[in-house]
Amino acid sequence: MSEPATTPMAVDPTSRSATIAAKKAWRDHLAQGEAKPAIRIGLAASFTAETLVPFFGAALLAEGTTAEFDVGPYNQLFQTCLDPQGTFHGPCDVIVLLWRLEDLMLNEINGFLAGDQGVLATATEKLAALAGAARQLRSGFSGMLVVGVPPYPTGIGGGLLSLHNAGALGAFHRALVGQFVDEIGRIDGVHLVDLDAMQRHIGLATSFDPRHWYLYRQPFSDGFLNTTGRQLARIVLASRRAAKKCVVLDADNTLWGGIVGEDGIDGIQIGDEFPGSAFRDFQKLLLGWRNQGVLLAVASKNNEADVWEVFDKHSGMVLRREHLSAWQINWLPKAENIPLIARALNIGTDSLVFIDDNPMEVAYMRDARPEVTTILVPSEPAEMVAAMQALTLFDQLEVTDEDRKRADMMRAERDRDVLSAQINHTDFLQALDLKVDLFRAKTEDLGRITQLINKTNQFNLTTIRRTLDEVRELANSDDWRLYGLRVTDKFGEYGLTGVIIAKISLDRRLWTIDSLLMSCRVLGRGVETALIGAMADDARAEGAVAFAASFIPTAKNALSASFLPDQGFSPVGGQDWHLDLAEAPGIPPHITRVGADAGPGRGFDAAAN
Amino acid sequence: MTTRVAQVFADVLGISPALITDETSPDNTPQWDSMAAMNLVVAIEDEFDIRLSTAEIISMRNIAIVKKVLRTKGVADD
Repeated sequence: MSEPATTPMAVDPTSRSATIAAKKAWRDHLAQGEAKPAIRIGLAASFTAETLVPFFGAALLAEGTTAEFDVGPYNQLFQTCLDPQGTFHGPCDVIVLLWRLEDLMLNEINGFLAGDQGVLATATEKLAALAGAARQLRSGFSGMLVVGVPPYPTGIGGGLLSLHNAGALGAFHRALVGQFVDEIGRIDGVHLVDLDAMQRHIGLATSFDPRHWYLYRQPFSDGFLNTTGRQLARIVLASRRAAKKCVVLDADNTLWGGIVGEDGIDGIQIGDEFPGSAFRDFQKLLLGWRNQGVLLAVASKNNEADVWEVFDKHSGMVLRREHLSAWQINWLPKAENIPLIARALNIGTDSLVFIDDNPMEVAYMRDARPEVTTILVPSEPAEMVAAMQALTLFDQLEVTDEDRKRADMMRAERDRDVLSAQINHTDFLQALDLKVDLFRAKTEDLGRITQLINKTNQFNLTTIRRTLDEVRELANSDDWRLYGLRVTDKFGEYGLTGVIIAKISLDRRLWTIDSLLMSCRVLGRGVETALIGAMADDARAEGAVAFAASFIPTAKNALSASFLPDQGFSPVGGQDWHLDLAEAPGIPPHITRVGADAGPGRGFDAAAN
Repeated sequence: MTTRVAQVFADVLGISPALITDETSPDNTPQWDSMAAMNLVVAIEDEFDIRLSTAEIISMRNIAIVKKVLRTKGVADD
């Protein structure tokens, strides 16, 4: 409970005390001579990268990760990319490549500043070569690869600040950075660390120490190195641990200024004027997290009516009730509300983050629920957003569609549960207004389809796993049909919820179902039958008369064992089943087939066909 | 000032303050390499709240000279 109330990373990385503390922390760590580090990180740069190590190392240590660094020989980026094993003294978990424009294309920069536009072509070639080297490294190295975006040039001496070419240097830098980011973006599985953005963030003057440059040829200030080290630590850590799933927020003096129970809805501060504007910006940040897949919840000691009045009626609010995935608004100790919220969201309490402005609430929560990460809101409202942005708890390297839709899909499911409790099952199914889109997979669908093929275990008839390349081959073949299934109802989307792969016989009369898998969230509402019904419509239209299928039992797919007989298939021995399409089920009446592949005459009651 | 200087150097170089004398220099102290030199400058400036010029940095070849420079910048000899 003696933990500091603010997060370590919130301290300004460029302050002298921060850089000195980081160096000391790293020195102390080395002096302890600890056992095996958690990760080995190879650093290769076009400048002296040794000075980055204490800051990178200390930032990892601050989050509980020990690292060992292996710095490649000075300015040997290409050699490192072609032969990482030869460069580093042992296998690396992570390789970081950093470079500056001044180190790789000083002649081109000076030529450009002297008015020679032709040097851009040479610079472009050098960029392409570097990107090519990174691509080579990516294919020859199985660990995490991080490549730096070069900062604005500083160490080029003479003429830097002259008025007529200051803009030109900026143009040169912008053009090359844009090109480089494009080229690297075409390589799968490379992460960028944007030294340019960081330099902008802390300021060019703060990033460059002319004394370090002239005395030690060290282009960066300690402040810049600390900023970069922390950012690299965030990137590495994001790949090694899951982001927290939900943030539980206090309301008074956290989501708005003031106490709604005492100040009334007109007395609280939330809106365009300070301090309300700071709280508003914090709410915008929270909405941004929600769009990344983080669920928002409220735990407040208040009368529910008072809190909802603010959420529903106050014009200054950015967050509305529909953005919340769970809440406990009562007079219980907040630590007691935590497991209730966790259970409502079906997640562990250790994936919760609790944010409150009251140091006593924070202390109680840390004591009662140490597995919850508890954050104290800064007492200075102007510092709220920066402090929250510095949190690494929700860091994710990639945001998927599923992440973006998570909170909305959970809300839709909750609304369905509410309706289902109110009426009988048949009326419920009718009320849902289910629409299924059984579609022939296109290029943009293949990634998600491959993901589903490889991670679905429970409702999966044959559990055949395939790579993206293998899936692509099937999609392009005339002898195979690769289908995706999307389901929506009046409450919202269920997303991509099924994949079916069928092989067509030589005489085109038999379709053999190679794979059939569905997401559990869409089961039990007739979609299983709609699936077979829709596929039967397509197959008949192409002259097929029968389906063949197999069920291969595994430890996990008992859920799908009755699917084939339920849909009218007959057993033919062993694991094999058969369905005469003349006897195939139709799409259930409460479900409509939609989408580009629904075609005329389809999407209606089977009796109409 | 002698104790504070010794403590700063001991911290940055990772050696005992008892080993720091007026003669301590990069020539007789392997830990005092060019990377340590950069860190020493930052540490001294922070400890004594001063800013060193490049001429002063280049001149500080041993502890005795460090103390001389600090005195010229008004750091008391206590």
